Amino acid sequence: MDFSLSEEQQMLKTSARDFLETECPEDVVRKVEDEDKAYSPELWKKIADLGWLGLVYPEEYDGSEGSVMDLAVLFEELGRAMCPCPFLSTVVLCGLPILEAGSDAQKKDMLPKIVNGDLILSLAMTEPEACWDGKGWDAEGITVKATADGDNYVIDGTKLFVWDATAADQFLVVARTKDGGAAEDGITLFLVDAKDPKVSCTVLRTTVGDKRQAEVVFDKVKVPKANMVGPLNGGWAPLYKALKVGMILISAEMVGAGEHATEMSVDYAKTRIQFDMPIGINQWVQEHCVWGFANVEGTRTVVFEAAWMLSEGMPCDFEVSMAKARANEAISEAFWRAHQVLAGVGFTTQDGVLPLYTKRGLCQKIYLGDTDFHLEKVCQAMEKWPEPEKPQGKALGIFDVPEDVQVPVWDVWRDQTKGKLW
Amino acid sequence: MEFGFTEEQEKLREELMEFFRKELPEDVDGGVPAVNKELQDFWLDIQKKAGAKGYLAPGWPKESGGLGYSHTEVGIANEVNAYWGVSWPDSIGLHICGPGIHLFGTDEQKKRLLPEISSGRNVWFECFTEPDAGTDEANQQTRAVKDGDYYVLNGQKIYITGGFRPDWLYVEARTADTIPKHRGLTLFAFPADTPGVSIKTLPCMGGYRANEVFFDDVRVHKDTMVGQENQGFYHVMQTFEFERSNTGGAVSARRRLQSLVKFCKEEKRNGKPLIENPEIRKKLALMAIDTEVLRLAAWRTCWRFAERKRLGPLDFDLTGFFVRANAETHPTWQLEFLGDYAQLRHGSKWAKLKGSLDRQWRMTRSYHYAGTTEVMKLVIAGRVLGLPRIPAKLNPTIMQALQEKK
Repeated sequence: MDFSLSEEQQMLKTSARDFLETECPEDVVRKVEDEDKAYSPELWKKIADLGWLGLVYPEEYDGSEGSVMDLAVLFEELGRAMCPCPFLSTVVLCGLPILEAGSDAQKKDMLPKIVNGDLILSLAMTEPEACWDGKGWDAEGITVKATADGDNYVIDGTKLFVWDATAADQFLVVARTKDGGAAEDGITLFLVDAKDPKVSCTVLRTTVGDKRQAEVVFDKVKVPKANMVGPLNGGWAPLYKALKVGMILISAEMVGAGEHATEMSVDYAKTRIQFDMPIGINQWVQEHCVWGFANVEGTRTVVFEAAWMLSEGMPCDFEVSMAKARANEAISEAFWRAHQVLAGVGFTTQDGVLPLYTKRGLCQKIYLGDTDFHLEKVCQAMEKWPEPEKPQGKALGIFDVPEDVQVPVWDVWRDQTKGKLW
Repeated sequence: MEFGFTEEQEKLREELMEFFRKELPEDVDGGVPAVNKELQDFWLDIQKKAGAKGYLAPGWPKESGGLGYSHTEVGIANEVNAYWGVSWPDSIGLHICGPGIHLFGTDEQKKRLLPEISSGRNVWFECFTEPDAGTDEANQQTRAVKDGDYYVLNGQKIYITGGFRPDWLYVEARTADTIPKHRGLTLFAFPADTPGVSIKTLPCMGGYRANEVFFDDVRVHKDTMVGQENQGFYHVMQTFEFERSNTGGAVSARRRLQSLVKFCKEEKRNGKPLIENPEIRKKLALMAIDTEVLRLAAWRTCWRFAERKRLGPLDFDLTGFFVRANAETHPTWQLEFLGDYAQLRHGSKWAKLKGSLDRQWRMTRSYHYAGTTEVMKLVIAGRVLGLPRIPAKLNPTIMQALQEKK
């Protein structure tokens, strides 16, 4: 057990905070909300120059062979800065399945471009119907079909809540290629050019008010076989592996955001004077601050535990779902607590930072599985738990005493054979 | 970061697991409070066997009867104890008095008392709390007046846990009337059969019992003093830290959840197993998550101890906070799974899970030792987050109440 960051991770964290404080301050976040592409190309280029986009890739693709843990450290800072960029979509949700299952040609061509910031990808997965019943992020929710047609596949259907769609050069489309059998078995991944005239993108008006999510309609789009990522009907395994990393990273983002929101409310509680006293002197205000702090700290450890297990390649569906569910609930509560403390300055959108966090928090909470989705996964894992072990000694039959049997009055019973010490 | 254990640590865990697997009877129920002599003798017997192997206080040095385990290894031992539902009759001696004597006792005291504790032959009472000194620990009224080589103790202690048959008492008493109050307290460790000591039992709603301890002209030698005169409060605060670094809580909670999952799979309502109820599924998952958060919080404290040897005010950990937060919700949710059966106690033929959920619920109403939830929150607010605190003398209502009391 070791809860400290390595020296490199500590350096990454510090330099990321410094960089983002200068390059991605609040006004940049606000400005990007109005951008059609929902990101700032200048900032993206600078991020690529820092090497962050190659953090988890092997050296042969210009990466630096880091781990999911390193990414989690970085994402805490990205979340704190609310950095608006297609990092998660490009590097993790689309890039990792390509690294895992893509052909040599795809890897050689695409991964270095991703690392250098020259290629932006977007995952087209969730569908209108599946988003209703918690199946949005499960294989069962994939109904958009890809049908073989000579050397091509034809993709036809609508994907909804597609992140970074307007920024993307290509989509990684999750499509069904076989009906019947287990839901996971008939899924194939395809790369689709975003400029294809038969692909249309409509930005969604969301709580955040930015243009990051869209409805993407694939109207009988023809995709050459060579664009398939991984084997036919074998797309789910590499995709789900990447989704798990995504779930942890978005949780890490939420932790970073929740931490800053709590810091802001504590600072405010110390400096805001009412009735000639700082408001933080009131124990109800302290209660909000303490819960915010406890929620953030408690969540961070479960998130990093799952990140560690992912880095070590251990089976960890249970831990990942615990972390995302916890982050969803605890960080939302941290924001709520911060709103109670900051009150007026917490809800004005023109100059308040907290609304930026809270609104993003709602989207992050839903993204890659909401609380119900993950609680169900946790419960499914619990159903497979073994029974607790029983000891093997001979039964004594003394434990069935009614507990209201009263004990006789106190008597001196000490083993007197050793004599008094004093 | 590293969330696993080394191979040697896992080996050690298995060795400890094996000890209890063999020693405990198959029908053991660690949740049953040791309400009678038979039960306490049973646990005392196991305690002595564990003590003989050094498992009771594994973190203590060999000369004190321990095994010289590292902090992490002690954490593992605590997990194993909790897994088997072991309740040491002398947990007070092991976790409060022993560490206190380690830190502040004379060589003579260490040589004589520590092996007594680690061997498991004794039961200690920690006599700190008084009717007017609960959270306000420094407000001790029990007096120890110097008389030559002796101190004479007079006063009353209350809510003293640890069973009903103590061998030793670990007492905090006032030796000087100082301002502030906490600069005049001193610790003593002496046998419970010293003339003038009497004990009265206080049954509690959790089924176990607490005690009142009375001192009437109890004469103790000055060698029974632990640490320095008038430094008792500081000594106690430092030893209290040990109470907050227990890795066992999450393990026993997880074990209870395992039994509960099994129960929910087998128990049917209207022909359907409980586990198919969406509300129950959701709560089971939430409890598993809370338990994991608690487990990691405890290990984090354990790791900090290992790194820094002792905790500073800024290292205040959240273990106690999460224990109390979970104690509020989990037992109540679990009872709700049972419907009308929730109210049936151990002993009723209709009671589910041997009435353990009812017992757990009643027990957790009393999780106030070593600081109530409110105190923990105040400590986090003040020491960790640096929020201001209102001085009593600025508040006219408080001042009036104090005046009236006098």
